[in-house]
Amino acid sequence: MDALIQAFGLVFDPFVLGVIAVSAVFGMFVGAMPGLTATMATALLVPVTFFMPPVPALGAIVTATAMAIFAGDIPAAMLRMPGTPASAAYADESYAMTKKGQLNLNMGVNLVFSVAGGLVGVAVLIAAAPLLAEVAINFSSFEYFWLACLGLTCAVFLTNADAVKGFLSLFIGLLLATVGIDPSAGAPRFTFGEVELMQGVNFVATMIGVFAVSELLRGASTVRDAGHVVVQQVGDMFRGLGAVFRRYWFNFLRGSAIGTVIGALPGAGADIAAWISYAVSKRFSKEPEKFGTGHVEGIVDSTSANNSALGGAWIPALVFGIPGDSITAIVIGVLYMKGMNPGPTVFTENPQLIYAVFLIFILANLIMLPLGWAAIKSARQMLRTPRNILLPMILMFCIVGSFAMTNSLYGVAIMLAMGIFGWFLEEHGVPVAPLILGLVLGEMLEQTFVQNMIKADGNWLAFVDRPIAGALGVATLLIWAVMIARGTGLLGARRAAAA
Amino acid sequence: MRVNDAVLGVLLLGFAGWVWWLTSFFPAFPGQDYGPSLFPRILAAGIAGCGLLLALRGLRARQRLLTLDEWVRDPARLVSVLLMPGAVLAYIFVVDTLGFIPTAFAILLVLFLWFRARPVVALPVAAGVTLTIHWFFAGMMRVPLPRGLLDSVL
Amino acid sequence: MASFTRRTLLAASGTALATAGAGLAAPALAQGRYPNRPVQVIVPWGAGGGTDATARIVSSLLERDLGQPFNVVNRTGGSGVVGHSAIATAQPDGYTIGMITVEITMMHWQGLTDLRPTSYTPLALMNSDPPGVTVAQNAPFADIRALAEAIRTRPAGTFRASGTGQGGIWHLALVGWLQAMGLRGDHVRWVPSNGAAPAMQELAAGGVDIVTCSIPEARAMIDANRARALAIMAPARNPMFAQVPTLNETLGINYSTGAWRGIAGPRNMPAEIAGALQAALKRAYDNREFQEFMSSRGFGTVWGDAAQFASFMAEGDRAMGDAMRAAGLARG
Repeated sequence: MDALIQAFGLVFDPFVLGVIAVSAVFGMFVGAMPGLTATMATALLVPVTFFMPPVPALGAIVTATAMAIFAGDIPAAMLRMPGTPASAAYADESYAMTKKGQLNLNMGVNLVFSVAGGLVGVAVLIAAAPLLAEVAINFSSFEYFWLACLGLTCAVFLTNADAVKGFLSLFIGLLLATVGIDPSAGAPRFTFGEVELMQGVNFVATMIGVFAVSELLRGASTVRDAGHVVVQQVGDMFRGLGAVFRRYWFNFLRGSAIGTVIGALPGAGADIAAWISYAVSKRFSKEPEKFGTGHVEGIVDSTSANNSALGGAWIPALVFGIPGDSITAIVIGVLYMKGMNPGPTVFTENPQLIYAVFLIFILANLIMLPLGWAAIKSARQMLRTPRNILLPMILMFCIVGSFAMTNSLYGVAIMLAMGIFGWFLEEHGVPVAPLILGLVLGEMLEQTFVQNMIKADGNWLAFVDRPIAGALGVATLLIWAVMIARGTGLLGARRAAAA
Repeated sequence: MRVNDAVLGVLLLGFAGWVWWLTSFFPAFPGQDYGPSLFPRILAAGIAGCGLLLALRGLRARQRLLTLDEWVRDPARLVSVLLMPGAVLAYIFVVDTLGFIPTAFAILLVLFLWFRARPVVALPVAAGVTLTIHWFFAGMMRVPLPRGLLDSVL
Repeated sequence: MASFTRRTLLAASGTALATAGAGLAAPALAQGRYPNRPVQVIVPWGAGGGTDATARIVSSLLERDLGQPFNVVNRTGGSGVVGHSAIATAQPDGYTIGMITVEITMMHWQGLTDLRPTSYTPLALMNSDPPGVTVAQNAPFADIRALAEAIRTRPAGTFRASGTGQGGIWHLALVGWLQAMGLRGDHVRWVPSNGAAPAMQELAAGGVDIVTCSIPEARAMIDANRARALAIMAPARNPMFAQVPTLNETLGINYSTGAWRGIAGPRNMPAEIAGALQAALKRAYDNREFQEFMSSRGFGTVWGDAAQFASFMAEGDRAMGDAMRAAGLARG
């Protein structure tokens, strides 16, 4: 109780509230701007939050990402361009609604169900995280090894793309994670005598490269001849929402639940949550034929899901130190920076800081309502920011942001190299999300593997000897079996089609 | 711009071989069978496997060796795309000598003007953005942005 | 070349300007007064850790004392090689200094780098923390004697210990302790970990039996009643953890080592700048704020001036070399 009162004091402090307000506007801008993602917003916030105390630092990230995931819906509805990958699943549906003249209802649904879904995710985070902490204190390297496997599996399992290319991306990410000092013998690997390479491939610089720089490369070719766009006027967004809620309240609950669970699964984030919940909505709908024609049902499911995934992703991040998505992958780094080392002890060592983060989560979702309304109203102006000014500015922010990650030009070099590489991969239909995941989880996978082998003296049975490790191991192997079965089936189908 | 899956597969096979060769120089740790080279070798094998599958698939599909996008043939667009990595490279090479403020200002100005911003907009925006970033990151955030030429003035 | 001349010219005129400006304010000190612009303090370890915290408190005191910003810059990774090399290769003009740690006496024996204590201008030794012996709360050992007896009587490889990476300072502490007990250095198997915090988690989860990190690093788990500290490998008890005995008073083993931290600059720093810094560091060390901060975190304070620091490092370097060769951890 004391901690809760302290937490209120920490959050309702003029500086913290100011940071939340500024990052809310920042998040809205980033989310509404196609090409800028919530992950990138987090990456850019890292150097900015570096010298802040933990509460405003985490508050900035929480607020900016919540806003960005919602704001991604705005250009999806108005331009058929998702502002963030999390809005990609229903951008077509949303734009179809707008074409039918339902922009008002469309924007209202996106805003209100984003807020509600976000609150569900936070509620689960608050209720389940401390419980999970008690379980997590018993996690040794065996359990973490299987969690790392499970996290890597989820990425490939849920990636829609070509399986071979998904695996390729994952292997490359894992290989990048081996650069630097190895965890078993302490020997340098793939450093070619370069001192800087001994620190390994910095993953925030990599993410800035893969998500932002590669997007700048794609965008640069058309900057000189970009035309203006015409956007419909927005009227009363909240009319008709009551009817939508009465009719589709179950879709909202289901979407939020799916979002939270997928967010909490290591490796899968808001974008995958939106895809899955949209698919589930269509599969179980009474009127599946209406999907794709500007039907509001699928939007309710998926716009709730992507915002609830944000809160869900914090559960494994806080309790296990395992990223639930690419945003919390960065958050974990910030937690370490602020001395709030993720793990079960974070709840006992600094409960007031964790409660403050929860409070900010709730606060951010609440102020999303008025701020989102304002953002939609001013979207016409925002979407007209000239790209010939915007792109070079973003590039300069990327340079400074990645420099700040390593405090050296090494970060900038990594950003550039990974930007070109990420662009090259996407040109060839290779998804970059598994690469990021491999880079993030690779070190944990290898470290825990080495620890396990030393502890078990080479006895493989020890990997499943402990109860939780056994359960996790069996679950992982089962999922792999299903994947292999489906994979070979898919291969067979493709061969048949080719012949 | 993309190459044929078969070419990509062959490139990956070569890459995997190179990685495997590099791992042969890693030291073994006495009393441990699973040394520093184990994981990179597993991953090299995985990448080689993917490369092989892609190569076979590419041969079967008989795609064109190299597919060029429209922008590669239009010199102005090609320059637009190459200017992005070019600007970062230029930053890496000159920022320690010139310092952050002159480098960032020059890069922004060149990009703005190439992307057809009017000079009357480009000049003040480039200066404003440079000084704002410097004030925020170097001043408030204490990021050690290179001081370069202005070392003794700042 | 052209740019070089221009740069030198500009720099020279800039210096002239700055000197003129300073001259107006304080005529007597105008010529070559140090420092007249911000100083970088490079830390080879991550923000939030013990080295970072120590460097930040020292820097804030230097900043107040010398009137210029002392900016802490974390250059992490490569087991400390990256940051140590950034300090050693900086311009020796006094505007880049850094906090060097015990690893500088270890890394070159492992073949990770050519850097060694003589690659720096030592300025001051500020802190040293001894390793501890920590076991899980529910471990069947009442005290350090029971644990030592169990280790001695059971076959090699029965017990597992952790605390840092292979060949790290806490690993060497374990090896040194075992050797002092007349056992082989690998009698207790070392499980490499990514720092002290994950090792403590392993300990609480029952993954390892012993952790040899310093007591301040083990403190959170001890406070949460998940772990117990049985001993410290130091000549005397730590007043913050007065109930934890030393190895000498319990086992009669006179073995002590420690992870130390000190401030140093690149080699060949001008003597007057080094002198000014050393004097300021002494004032910072004697400052009550520094002493209070260090004791609140449970960090030990040790003072050594430039000459003492240099001979301290030379001695430590030799001892580490012997220990690492004996443990089979030295390479090349």
